Amino acid sequence: MSNDKLQKKKLYAISSENRQFSFSLPLKHSIRIGKRNYEVKLKADEKYGTYILWKNRKYPVEIVRSRQNKYEILFNDISYTFSVETPFSLQRMKVLNAQKGKATAEYIKAPMPGKIIDVLVREGSAVQRGEPVVILEAMKMQNEILSPVNGTVVKISAKANTNVMKDDLLVEIKP
Amino acid sequence: MDLSGKSYKAYIERQQALRKQYSPEQAAKQHVKGKLTAWERISLLFDNGTFEEIDAFVTPASAPVEFGKVDRKYGDGVIVGHGKINGRLVFAYAQDFTIMGGSLGLVHSRKITKVQEMALKMGAPIIGMMDSGGARIQEGVASLSGYASIFHNIIQSSGIIPQISVIMGPCAGGAVYSPALTDFVFMVNHTSYMFVTGPNVVKEVLNEDVTSDGLGGAEVHARKSGVAHMIYDDEENTILALKKFLSYLPSNNVENPPTVADDGTITNINERLRDIVPDDPNKAYDVRDVINQVVDRSSFYETSELFGASLVTGFARLRGRTIAIVANQPKVLAGVLDIDSSVKGARFIRFCDAFNIPIITFEDVPGFLPGVDQEHAGIIRHGAKLLFAYSEATVPKITIILRKAYGGAFIVMNSKFLGGDFNYAWPSAEIAVMGPDGAVAILYRKELAESKNPVEMKKELVKKYRDRIANPFIADESGYIDEVIDPAMTRKKIISALDALSNKWVKVPARKHGNMPL
Amino acid sequence: MKIKRILIANRGEIAVRIMKTARLMNIETVAVKTAVEPNAMYLGSADIVFDNTEDMSEVPVFLDIEKLIAIALKTNANAVHPGYGFLAENAYFAQKCIDNKIIFIGPSPDAIYKMGNKTIARNLALQNGIPMAMGSQGNIANDEEAIAIAEKIGYPVIIKAASGGGGRGMRIVRKSEEMDKMFNIASKEAEKSFNDPSVFVEKYIENPKHIEFQILGDTKGNIIHLGERECSIQRKHQKLLEEAPSCALDAKLRKKMGSMAIQIARAVNYYSAGTVEFLLDSEKNFYFMEMNTRIQVEHPVTEVITGIDLIEQQILIANGEPLKMKQEDIKLKGWAIECRINAEDVQSGFAPDPGKIESLNMPTYQCVRVDTGVQQGSSIVASYDSMIAKLIVKGKDRKEALKNTKMALDKVWIKGTKTTLPFFRMLVRHPKFQDGSFTTAFIEKDLEKYYFNAEYEEMLAAWLAVKLFAEENLNYDSINIDFKQGKEINPWLLNKRISQF
Repeated sequence: MSNDKLQKKKLYAISSENRQFSFSLPLKHSIRIGKRNYEVKLKADEKYGTYILWKNRKYPVEIVRSRQNKYEILFNDISYTFSVETPFSLQRMKVLNAQKGKATAEYIKAPMPGKIIDVLVREGSAVQRGEPVVILEAMKMQNEILSPVNGTVVKISAKANTNVMKDDLLVEIKP
Repeated sequence: MDLSGKSYKAYIERQQALRKQYSPEQAAKQHVKGKLTAWERISLLFDNGTFEEIDAFVTPASAPVEFGKVDRKYGDGVIVGHGKINGRLVFAYAQDFTIMGGSLGLVHSRKITKVQEMALKMGAPIIGMMDSGGARIQEGVASLSGYASIFHNIIQSSGIIPQISVIMGPCAGGAVYSPALTDFVFMVNHTSYMFVTGPNVVKEVLNEDVTSDGLGGAEVHARKSGVAHMIYDDEENTILALKKFLSYLPSNNVENPPTVADDGTITNINERLRDIVPDDPNKAYDVRDVINQVVDRSSFYETSELFGASLVTGFARLRGRTIAIVANQPKVLAGVLDIDSSVKGARFIRFCDAFNIPIITFEDVPGFLPGVDQEHAGIIRHGAKLLFAYSEATVPKITIILRKAYGGAFIVMNSKFLGGDFNYAWPSAEIAVMGPDGAVAILYRKELAESKNPVEMKKELVKKYRDRIANPFIADESGYIDEVIDPAMTRKKIISALDALSNKWVKVPARKHGNMPL
Repeated sequence: MKIKRILIANRGEIAVRIMKTARLMNIETVAVKTAVEPNAMYLGSADIVFDNTEDMSEVPVFLDIEKLIAIALKTNANAVHPGYGFLAENAYFAQKCIDNKIIFIGPSPDAIYKMGNKTIARNLALQNGIPMAMGSQGNIANDEEAIAIAEKIGYPVIIKAASGGGGRGMRIVRKSEEMDKMFNIASKEAEKSFNDPSVFVEKYIENPKHIEFQILGDTKGNIIHLGERECSIQRKHQKLLEEAPSCALDAKLRKKMGSMAIQIARAVNYYSAGTVEFLLDSEKNFYFMEMNTRIQVEHPVTEVITGIDLIEQQILIANGEPLKMKQEDIKLKGWAIECRINAEDVQSGFAPDPGKIESLNMPTYQCVRVDTGVQQGSSIVASYDSMIAKLIVKGKDRKEALKNTKMALDKVWIKGTKTTLPFFRMLVRHPKFQDGSFTTAFIEKDLEKYYFNAEYEEMLAAWLAVKLFAEENLNYDSINIDFKQGKEINPWLLNKRISQF
């Protein structure tokens, strides 16, 4: 039984905002824009660290995290998260997403490490989009964490006067 | 023989019939669910052209009583055989859901036991890819006996060859014991599930509503039950990861694991290690940052990441050679040991011991998780498992104490007198019966109660405690650890310790087996 | 020169800045080494380093008046420069220095006190005919009082901390229902930041521009202004980018506002460097906000267009010398833009991203000045602030300054933390910034995306992700997994393993 069907001729990188970039395999060191092919190289040196050379300009780049097929890349000071999919896994994603349906919960996570000063809502209270739900103190500033959706508070994991790390779950809201 | 002869013609006809069985229409049935077919999985797993199928043409056993139709398809719903993965001999079986729902009948089970026995004889790893509706009802007790034979073989091979299960579809009822008995279980998110009793019966008996995914999906088993060790979002990644995982393991319990070239990025003296553990003992950090700065670049492969997360386990490489890592994770529950993490660690250590993989332990543990739940659920028994596993293991065992090492947890995490071969500590280590706050509160209870300024006094006493009792130099000077090392030298120290231990051999006591708390 | 040795009661880039000028003036400097950053860059530029690393107290040394005075006396420093932040606007500290015969390089304790209390400052402005926003006469005791005042002056109003600024203890209130919550938040924050929960209420001027004037005064009563700075690019009241001069002012308005600034400074007999802050509404009406009695972070842009070293001036003034320039001598030449490059993650709402600076490469063009307190290997410490460097770029006019800034930003290369660079790269390309029509509401209202990335940058990152995936997974065979080594076991060991069964 041959490997033809699974011969990966293309790989897709899906960004966190669902933009799709496709590259044929084997991966070339050039990218086509319009009618021209531009060379792209990944290099590293003592002074600059790792960088990408493109159109005669050096762009600082760092691989922040890589887990399974998910990569977080810091390119020219901006982070991008991609999941790399084969044609089959891309299709599978579509099949599964079609089955999933609407989100049943919105999770509010701590955007940075700090201390919970105040929890402004109770379980069961209604919240509006943009309404502050938690006060998080970090870098001497009191930051209001706002609700991204209209809904009802289902669960509160944040406790006043406790420290939290980045991405810790604070509040769960049912939209 | 004449190529156009009758016997050759029959041969070709049969080959064509077999190929027709695996038609694109059949494949579409799997694809539409986002799943691959059994053949596609085999092709992905094995190196191109190396897979040799066995018993491709067997047909299902005729049912003793004609009850329900039995589809007379070749193969009886499972593909078994051997091939090379990254150049090494591996045996595998992959259940085919498109043929009779991948259900297990007598012949199906015989095929599996055939490869299991071969794998054991050849001393090669065996991989089982599950995607089955369960026992074939029409074949009655023959199906059940089939399962029993499979389980028996797994147990006979346990600890002799690595056995890995990959759940790629349903795996229910008695069938789940197959993966449960193997060394490692991979699951695919959303399209695979495992449970003993399904949602329908649960609804009938207990009137509880639950989906297959919610009852026994990949996340559930990775996070809550600990049955699944590795989960991935799709099948291709699962198989690729499985191949990667295999490259850390030896083929059997006599050989050493394979080696891989080290790209030399992580140098033996690495100053970044000095900056990872925060000065404030109440601040958390991710122990994986430490691990990644010690082992070969990108070589850390974590197992059971979501279960018992306060203990990190996994394989890694040093100079291209496989080692096992066990590390407390201060980021989760402050790194305490609880039931889940104790059990996870114990099983992992026993696997490494069976397969001659050295164990490196990074310690930063304040103790065991307190609480009524833990105590009533038997943290005593489960903590003892970790203790037993560490002490029983005869592979090279090296411990590095990064920060806290208190009380019982200090003893459990491969302390010197439990059998640690080399025990090192970083200058930030605190080795004590209990943490400074607790100790001072007990030892100076009277003085603190009578003091005019208890907060100041406590602060001073804590400092004194840290200086006089809890620091690693005392342990070093009394021989309870081997050396306090500069964090930057960690990799170098481990490598030279491993070199010294490369021929370690300890005779195990002559007994059938110990009575490990279970 | 009376001032022979200055103790710098500060750290980071301002410490480096002060030491630079002091060296040019042949004055010695003393720096304080702390346990939090024992290898900080500013320590390398000082003549004497006082080792305070043993000090484990909760209060940072730069906020500890007693300790700082003791250090000054111990190191024979006869002057203290407080920099900005910390104790720079603490009248008690200034007084203590004077009591101990240490020259305080800054204004008088009285001026600091009066301008430091916003309600007193407001009253002074009122008495001196300086235009300002309506508001409460004094501090507000509770939210009911606040609501009463708000009803009188009309919403929206802003609650402000009486004892401090910088965005802390400030909250905008648009409806009376919010007053209770906002009052408490503002008061709590004020207490935390300034040790004083007092707040007052003011009419909130919608979408103003923030224009401030640099003041210099000597002890002989001469006060001049050095032109304005445009500081409207702010996020949550923290300035991100400043320019000098402002495109919103013409010579006439500049003269008017400048004279008002001088007038309020005169009301407290101000000397040394100071800044008078105004809000400018869409009709070019200006309102006095507050006066900052210290050298400010953004002072370089004024220095660039006036050619005057403000730190030098501060030292000369503290030395008792009269100002050598008169108002007519001050000429504003060219345009300067300053970008505050902080270790913050723009994509996560400017969340701080502390870490270690692995490499720092700044452009070296003629038109670029870099003020920094950080070098390769420095750690950005969460407990201080997140500033990495100030990038100050000049041009002969605003257009050229913008062009140069754009060019310079592309040459800044910082590895080790995420920075606010993508924000500035976006800002210099934004039409509303380019035409000068932006107000303090710009960031919150007019921006959809906070950072800039060219279209192909995401694609290049995607290419890299695919490359990594392909290498890791598809070429795994070529990683040379060697099984032979595994089979070549020392015979001694192999024997033992086999014979155990």
